[in-house]
Amino acid sequence: MLRFKINGKDYEVAAANHRKVVDLIRYDLGLTGTKEACGVGVCGVCSILLNGRLVSSCIMLACQVDGAEITTIEGIAAPDGELTPLQRSFIDCGGFQCGICTPGQIIAATALLAETPSPTEEQIKEWMMGNLCRCTGYYQIVDAIQSAAEQVA
Amino acid sequence: MPGYQAVGQPIPRVEGFVKVTGQARYAADFALPGTVWGKCLHAPYSHARIVSIDTSKAERMPGVHAVITGRDTRDGGLWGRAVKDAPPLAFERVRYYGERVAAVAADDEDLAQAALEQIDVEYEELPAVFDPFEAMRDAAPILHPDFNTYVGFKLKHTTPSNIHHHSHLERGDVEQGFADADVIVENTYVTQRQSQGMLEPQSILVSIDPSDDRVHLWHCNKVPYFIRGALAAAAGIPEERIVIHPTYIGGDFGNKGNSRLTPIAYYLAKASGRPVRMISDYTEEFLAGNPRHHVTIQLRTGVKRDGTLTAHTVNHVVNSGAYAAFKSYGTIAGANEAAGPYRVPNSRIDSTFVYTNTVPGGFMRAPGEPEGVFAIESHIDEVARRIGMDPVAFRMKNLIVEGDETAFGHVLHDVRARETLQAAVDASGYNDTKPPHVGRGVAIGERGTGAGEGTVEIRLLPDGRAIIGTPMFDQGTGTYTTIAQVASEELGIPADRFELEVWDTDELESDSGLTGSRGTHVNTLAAFEAAQLARRDLAQTAAEHLGWPEDEVEFSAGQAHRRDSGEVIGWEELLARSGQTIRARAHTVAQRSHRTSFVAQVAEVAVDPETGEIRVLRYTTAHDSGVVLNPLGYQGQVNGGFQHGLGYALMEELVVEDGRVTTLSFGDYKMPTVRDMPPLTTVVLESAQGEGPYNIRGIGEAPCIPVAPAIANAVEDAVGVRIRDLPVTAEKVYQSLRM
Repeated sequence: MLRFKINGKDYEVAAANHRKVVDLIRYDLGLTGTKEACGVGVCGVCSILLNGRLVSSCIMLACQVDGAEITTIEGIAAPDGELTPLQRSFIDCGGFQCGICTPGQIIAATALLAETPSPTEEQIKEWMMGNLCRCTGYYQIVDAIQSAAEQVA
Repeated sequence: MPGYQAVGQPIPRVEGFVKVTGQARYAADFALPGTVWGKCLHAPYSHARIVSIDTSKAERMPGVHAVITGRDTRDGGLWGRAVKDAPPLAFERVRYYGERVAAVAADDEDLAQAALEQIDVEYEELPAVFDPFEAMRDAAPILHPDFNTYVGFKLKHTTPSNIHHHSHLERGDVEQGFADADVIVENTYVTQRQSQGMLEPQSILVSIDPSDDRVHLWHCNKVPYFIRGALAAAAGIPEERIVIHPTYIGGDFGNKGNSRLTPIAYYLAKASGRPVRMISDYTEEFLAGNPRHHVTIQLRTGVKRDGTLTAHTVNHVVNSGAYAAFKSYGTIAGANEAAGPYRVPNSRIDSTFVYTNTVPGGFMRAPGEPEGVFAIESHIDEVARRIGMDPVAFRMKNLIVEGDETAFGHVLHDVRARETLQAAVDASGYNDTKPPHVGRGVAIGERGTGAGEGTVEIRLLPDGRAIIGTPMFDQGTGTYTTIAQVASEELGIPADRFELEVWDTDELESDSGLTGSRGTHVNTLAAFEAAQLARRDLAQTAAEHLGWPEDEVEFSAGQAHRRDSGEVIGWEELLARSGQTIRARAHTVAQRSHRTSFVAQVAEVAVDPETGEIRVLRYTTAHDSGVVLNPLGYQGQVNGGFQHGLGYALMEELVVEDGRVTTLSFGDYKMPTVRDMPPLTTVVLESAQGEGPYNIRGIGEAPCIPVAPAIANAVEDAVGVRIRDLPVTAEKVYQSLRM
């Protein structure tokens, strides 16, 4: 039995040790906000926070999350649905189009702002280069992160 | 824009909330009780006869619910868009390395994979051909001996051939044109395969529900009404028995117009009696997807010393891959584009599409056009340099103006080629002095706005709710927002007040879907007409329920007005009092115009002469446009299109070696990251000339078209090296510098 928390909620599940965390989250627990694309840990689409650290859930195994606290995109907004400044900025700045990479982008940017509340443009690019987006050319994602950082600062 | 409230405003996406909270549901996010996983077995040969397939071991595995092969899918016929030449699963013959030959449905993905490994296929390898020029030779192995029996092709073979399409166009007297030239320049350009790279791989859930005997699909596909018809024909059932449910689509760029998995998932669901989910992994997307084509373009141009063009010929050879099925029209553009928007009295354009034993090409953003424009816009620079003219001055002399015929024999409308190029030149500092090893390059392209049929419904309820109904499955380009903007403009209701209602395919007879830069044109026209119907109905409601004289009532800005008394009533109060629901649905067919939109770009690059490394220092893109409906969304299309062009120019290549795709992950297939994007300056030349009630134009495809030649031209300007095969890599520049 694996025990862990996702978005503050306790889970106790039976899963094979080699079950990928992204599959555990999406298909065993039904939290489909986390997406999967490359399957090899390079595109950032499946990003989650594991004990506050940014990780790719497509290359993590279920046994690695025993006892952990996980945050997925479903746990970013307040329980009443109020968006974080970052989520709001992604909407206002046009930081997504199709939206498939957006959960991962927001998770990654949330981790960035937790570590560096007022990042420079260069720091944003350095941090976010692990999150591919095929729609936006990234410009409006950078705008969104800068805008959110300014609002919180 | 003067006089508009909502049109022209940077209104954020109306579906924003669900996309930033993870609530937007894509095809892979749906599941039904008892859902099993489908997976495909891929062929390990480029060309082979299938001698036998033994599925018995796989079938006996516990937890395996169905195993199917080409024998099970062949009765449904061949699959494809306009032309049908692809079996859903290979039957008797495989024609490319990675072709799907069998599929299983099992309790989970791991078990499905294990079952695939228990299928024994005996192959007899056949001679294969990978190069389109070799495939055109008499002795070449023939991929499709039964070509003449296929549906949708214009061509019929009298002797066996790998050519599935040929076109020829001739204007003026080409030989005389070359005789009149002072200089003749001849070059060959080659473009690489590019993956659409959408971050949602192909995914589908199919359920055949015994309670209603209907086939239910959740499918990342932007042309659901086409899929419904195609699957009905293959399955031999009436269209009414199939329903495709709405999902968000996680990126498209041409990939989501095809449907490789649809018939396979259907046959698995039928054989297993269970709902079947299939999700391509990204290895499969690269190995057996439908990339942008490998194209070879030979250009020959006659020119006088003063820069006057006298003749131009194009030989456009498309390596189609093993099947033509995944090109929406069986062919792609690019031959005309390689002739260019230039004034030349004599021209000849040949275009040939050839089968080879390689991954079948498909549609990708502006299908064929970046290929053709890479050739012509590189070549135009080379011609200019040969006669000692500045590349911009040479283009300015030869670009068409209103009334001119293009080299491909079309007369385009509202032509602003030179103005657009000038705008790019001015905004980029093209003529400023520059340090050593820095170069600037220009390129120009054009693309018209798409057309087709669309439906929009606006519903206003007595409880104050405002609903927009649409058959569009959003693939990310912002159609829901532009529809809401138009409804807002016409009805005076804020765009974010509308609730979206996306219909399944039971709702309509047909719809064009979202392809070819048509979404904004078609759907805003439908929304405009639905809004007019709603206004009329609201005025009538006021007349009926308030006793206002019918000819004294009009509706504007969210209110019914009575002209003779000056009384007004808001729509919510009016409907609350009347208890009525306004239901206004418009179906429109938008026509394609001869209007085009130019895009001119300037790249500024620095090239390291020691290593050949290319850095794009800054980039300028100028767009000939109508009225911009939503600047935020418009800029998003420009940015994303530029990113596709940048990847195409510098790094993206689906490498095929000995017929086999070898870039099988995003580790090997490099797409631009945020670090790769240079500062981008966008210039929009708005005008009042466009399509529909607001004079808009499409923007989805144009921005990606001229990027590669602008960068290749800049590289030559920087270090004197001409790269004629994409992508323009440091390795190629390094090698050329040392030659």
